[in-house]
Amino acid sequence: MSTPAFVQALYDSGIAVWMRDSLKAMPLIEATHVLAIATVFGTILIVDLRLLGVAGTGRPYSVVAREMLGKTWTAFVLAVITGALMVAPNAITYYGNTAFRLKLLALVLAGLNMVIFQLLTARTMPTWDTSAKTPTAARTAAIISLVLWTAIIFLGRWIGFTKGYDFSVPEDVQFEFPQ
Amino acid sequence: MFELARQLGTSGLSQAIQSTLWLTPLLQAIHILMIGIVFISVLMVVLRILGRYRADDPFTAIWLRFAPWMWWALAVMAATGLVLIIGEPLREASALSFWLKMALILVGVLSVLGLRRAAAGFTGTSMPFGTRLAATVVLVVWIAIIYLGRSIAYDAEIWGSWSLGVYA
Repeated sequence: MSTPAFVQALYDSGIAVWMRDSLKAMPLIEATHVLAIATVFGTILIVDLRLLGVAGTGRPYSVVAREMLGKTWTAFVLAVITGALMVAPNAITYYGNTAFRLKLLALVLAGLNMVIFQLLTARTMPTWDTSAKTPTAARTAAIISLVLWTAIIFLGRWIGFTKGYDFSVPEDVQFEFPQ
Repeated sequence: MFELARQLGTSGLSQAIQSTLWLTPLLQAIHILMIGIVFISVLMVVLRILGRYRADDPFTAIWLRFAPWMWWALAVMAATGLVLIIGEPLREASALSFWLKMALILVGVLSVLGLRRAAAGFTGTSMPFGTRLAATVVLVVWIAIIYLGRSIAYDAEIWGSWSLGVYA
C-alpha cells in the first residue's frame, strides 16, 4: 500500500520523532488516553442510561445531560490530542491498520448519531424531559451510542494487538485483521 | 515469587489463555470499559463531596446512585484482571507497576469506603476541609491506578533498574 503524503509528513514530524525517541512518553500518553476514554465513556453511559430509562430517571434528562456533557467534551479533546500523539510516531502502520480505520469510522458514526439526535429528537425534549419513558427515537439513539462507543474502545485495544504482528481470528469474533 | 509465576505460566490454564490470542485484547477491552464505570463513579462521589456535583442533594443520594455500578464494575475488572494475570504471570510479577497498582487498588477501595463513612448523612453543600482533601486524594489514587495499569506493559521504560525483573 502506498503511503499518502500527509501520513508520511505526520510520521516525519518533529513530535513523531520525539515520541519515538522518548522511552517514557508513549506509556504516559497512552495512560492519559485511557483516562480520557474512561471519562468519555463513563459520562456518555450516564446520559444514555438516562435516555433509556434505566438509571437516574428521578431527574430530568436535560439536567443529567448538562452535568455530563461538559466533562465528555473536555475528555474527548484530551483523547483526540493523546490519540494523535500515539498515531504520529507510527502513522504509516496506523494508516494501513484495519482496526484503526474502523475505529475512525465508528467515531464518525457516533458523531452523526449525536447530530441527528440533537437536531431532530432533542427538539421534542420538553415533552419527555422529566419522564422516565422517552420516545423510541431517543432510546434508539442511546443504544446506537452505547454500541458505537463500546466498539470504539474494543477497536482501540485491537489496534495494539494488530499493529506489530498478526494473529488468526476465530470465526465467532467479528473483527477484521490486516494480513 | 518469580518461580511461582513461572510455574503458573506453564500450567495448562495459562497455556490455554496464551494460545487463545484474541482473548487478551478482548479482556483488556472489557477491563477498559469497566475502568470507565469505576472512574466516573468515583469521580461523581468525589465531586459531590467537593460540592461541584448535585450539591443540592444529600451525599447518600449520590452514593446510592453510583456505588452499585462501582462495585459491579470492580468485580468484572477483578475477574478480567485475574484471567489476564494467569495468562501472563511472569510479566505481571516482574513489573513494579503491577505490585504498586495492586497496593493502590486496596488503598483506593478502602478509602472510598472511608469517604462514605465520613460523608454519610451529609446534606449541606460544603463539607469539612478534611473530607474534601481526602476526597481529592482518593481521586488521585484512582488516576494513579490507571497510569500504573498502563505502565505494566512498559515497566522497564518507566522504572528503569527499579523494575523487578528481566523476563526469563
